[in-house]
Amino acid sequence: MTTYWHQHPETVDRLAAEYALGTLAAPARRRMEALMTQRRDIAQAVGSWHERLGGVLAAQPPLPVDPGAWHRLESRLFGEPRKATQTSAWWSRWLSQVVRRAAPRTTAPPRGAWRSQGWGRSVIPAGTLAIGLLLGSVLGPLWEALRSTTQLPESYVGVLANADGKPGLIVSSLRKGLTVDLKQLSPVEVPEGKTLYLWTIDKDGQVHAVAAIPGGAFVSAPLSQPAEEAFFPAVELAVSIETAGAAPPQPTGPFVYRGLCGKLWKLPAN
Amino acid sequence: MLARVGMGDRAAFKALYGLTAGVLLATAARVLQDRHAAEDVVQEVFAHLWHKASEAATPSAKTLAWLCVVTRNRAVDHLRKRPAEVSIHGQADDGEEIVHDAASEQPGVFEQLSFEQDQQRLQRCLGQLDPEPRQAVLLAYVEGLTHVELAGRMRRPLGTIKAWTRRSLMALKLCMGSLA
Repeated sequence: MTTYWHQHPETVDRLAAEYALGTLAAPARRRMEALMTQRRDIAQAVGSWHERLGGVLAAQPPLPVDPGAWHRLESRLFGEPRKATQTSAWWSRWLSQVVRRAAPRTTAPPRGAWRSQGWGRSVIPAGTLAIGLLLGSVLGPLWEALRSTTQLPESYVGVLANADGKPGLIVSSLRKGLTVDLKQLSPVEVPEGKTLYLWTIDKDGQVHAVAAIPGGAFVSAPLSQPAEEAFFPAVELAVSIETAGAAPPQPTGPFVYRGLCGKLWKLPAN
Repeated sequence: MLARVGMGDRAAFKALYGLTAGVLLATAARVLQDRHAAEDVVQEVFAHLWHKASEAATPSAKTLAWLCVVTRNRAVDHLRKRPAEVSIHGQADDGEEIVHDAASEQPGVFEQLSFEQDQQRLQRCLGQLDPEPRQAVLLAYVEGLTHVELAGRMRRPLGTIKAWTRRSLMALKLCMGSLA
């Protein structure tokens, strides 16, 4: 009875190794490729070798990438480079589900509690409590989901409450990104000639300007500095309504959204 | 992240590009010895990934290593479509294949690698191979050299090169299995 090399597991493994290494001669390489489409065990043997050896490639020092390369790829795949609006950030669909799941469990503060105190720049205990409850209910599942099932890119994320203590605005930026993505869950009315404006609040309660937020339920805004510099000192994020085109050093009115600023990455192990 | 790319998430795609493009470019450039051609290969890999990520990801795959393998294979395909450049090879009187080629002036491939924590096992097992056989395996994998090209580069008989790679691969498999 005739037997072929591919009926011998040891020979299959040896040739799979040589195939993965790239040292098989061209005719043998073509025969392997044909067999891999028909024989799952042969394809798996090659895959196992690539899994063993792939770390060698990943251990090479990276080369600097031409900054225009991403834009060329983006144009090739999506047409024109993406504008600073209508983003489809990674967190959007996923986090909106988290928020929908979490929102019914939110213990909202008495309606108007923050509004009655102006919801201004000073720290307001009732507001802080409500934000804490809101963030606990929303970011809790978020952290759990991140920890257990995903490896999301390092990001800053805030789920800001509106004046009624309900989820109002999701803010996100990649840790080293140059844009901030925003999704309004509870839109606020912005008068003609005005715009929403994003601020950070540091541990000392100092407020710092970040960027004007374009109109729309789901938008992206450029940052004037890397996200790491803009958001790292932030304990909270807040949004006020300001004159369009202005660059106010401090908010000129009460905050319409406010919430904690989360840093979504692992700390290095000690 | 690859799973999110598979769902059409552009932001995840961009993040993946930012995290991996430099290493993929190094992978392709090492094989092709041509930065422009390497950039083309990396673009092809990402374009293919965008369209096929949902089919490509497997639960056990380590994304960066897997992308490197895809890039390396594509670069090798490009390399082998090119006309031969400098190697001149023939047979000696005893039938042994001989090649005239320039020996690499570069330090060993192994010494240039920087292994992450999760690749310590691979690093340790590679470290247990003798230096020349290890260099042969790494040159084949990282630069896409064939046995004949390795013989020329390392100035060793073809039979020796074939024996080195075969034994080294089996030693690696044994070592990585025993440390698993």
